[in-house]
Amino acid sequence: MDYSRPELADRLGAEYVAGTLRGPARRRFESLLPGHPALRGAVQRWQDRLMPLTVTLAPVTPPARVWRRIEARLGLRPAEAPSQAWWARLAFWRVLSGIATAATLALAFIVASPPPAQAPIVVVLSAAAPADQPNAVTPASFVASISADGRAMVTRPLLPVSVQADRSLELWALPPSGAPRSLGVISASGSTVVRRGQVLQGTSALAVTLEPPGGSPSGAPTGPVLYVGKLSS
Amino acid sequence: MAVAPAEWSDRSKELSALLARSGLGDRQAFAALYERTSAHLFAVVLRINKDRAQAEDVLQEVYVNVWRAAQSFDAAQSQPLTWLTSVARNRAIDSLRRKQTEPQTQPAPFNDDEDKDVYDDVADDAPTPLEMLSRASDARALAQCMEALSAPQRQSVALAFYDGLSHAEVADQMRQPLGTVKSWVRRALLSLKACLDNAVLRDGRARGA
Repeated sequence: MDYSRPELADRLGAEYVAGTLRGPARRRFESLLPGHPALRGAVQRWQDRLMPLTVTLAPVTPPARVWRRIEARLGLRPAEAPSQAWWARLAFWRVLSGIATAATLALAFIVASPPPAQAPIVVVLSAAAPADQPNAVTPASFVASISADGRAMVTRPLLPVSVQADRSLELWALPPSGAPRSLGVISASGSTVVRRGQVLQGTSALAVTLEPPGGSPSGAPTGPVLYVGKLSS
Repeated sequence: MAVAPAEWSDRSKELSALLARSGLGDRQAFAALYERTSAHLFAVVLRINKDRAQAEDVLQEVYVNVWRAAQSFDAAQSQPLTWLTSVARNRAIDSLRRKQTEPQTQPAPFNDDEDKDVYDDVADDAPTPLEMLSRASDARALAQCMEALSAPQRQSVALAFYDGLSHAEVADQMRQPLGTVKSWVRRALLSLKACLDNAVLRDGRARGA
């Protein structure tokens, strides 16, 4: 079948979103979506059309256990201790075995190796899709190397980045929550050395935004996010 | 019908920001997103899969999915509540096919809702799904277009959409031949599309676009 035919894409998209496309046909349709922009477009349009129907449903607050299970599944918070005797809990034995393993490794390390040289931490910033200004900057990536003591960082573009003459790139430290912290303006063409006390303290990701020359006047990012890189902890 | 971010309601902008921050691994933003949207998504899921324990599992899967896919959410392409609701509906429909038992259906629910005014303001401060939608006019236009359908068309589309019934289940429920129901649903969807496209045109003209 030619899924780029508009009527066919529209009919299948409608049945998929309405929910009447079922069973193997639904699964087959879902497997076709990634490769067929026409089908994705039809689904998108039907979702925009039909989802407002759901606003008439009276909200039902889910029980608190649902959120606790989500947190546990995603490792956002340690799993809740089940109401069992401490020796029957898997977590207890896991922790105990973890401590024992760590102690063994630490001992082996102390015995076997000289003090290791501290390696710098490297963060790769990948292009974030700039929704507003797709033409402002060519898609490229930055790399940021942070000294092991976290006091200095060097940023460098991996590919040449073209920025309009009246724009600057500004680097931000993103905390797990709360406002981003400016790390200053960085060069689009070469290396920039950033010295800002503890660069990494309380930082979960780095981002680069497009700002007015000299950086954001307000101290908060104003332009689109061009590059983002997470710090793996 | 993608809406330019400038036209977004504050609620919708807030949800988009929470989704974007969740994509960067912000747990607090994700918790806030859950707090703002879970009661709506739970209602959507529960209407399709009426088994409460299963509906809770589905909701859990939905948010696990959202956390993992938040980075791919494209605010330029879709509205946050539409995106979240679609994820929830798809999961809920998938959970039905794994169910061994026949889905328990309840008598035609859409008529009960007909008297309710979709755009009634709600007294408390909690954002309603309508407020979280970027444009309330989308919901208003859709409600008007639903009104314009014939009663059997409207009921068949409501049973399919709200309750997640298949064509065969809708036919059972309405005690009508399968072919008749299929054509009702198809015609209802085509009428909705034509009616909504007209509403968008009227809307555009009204704004002088």
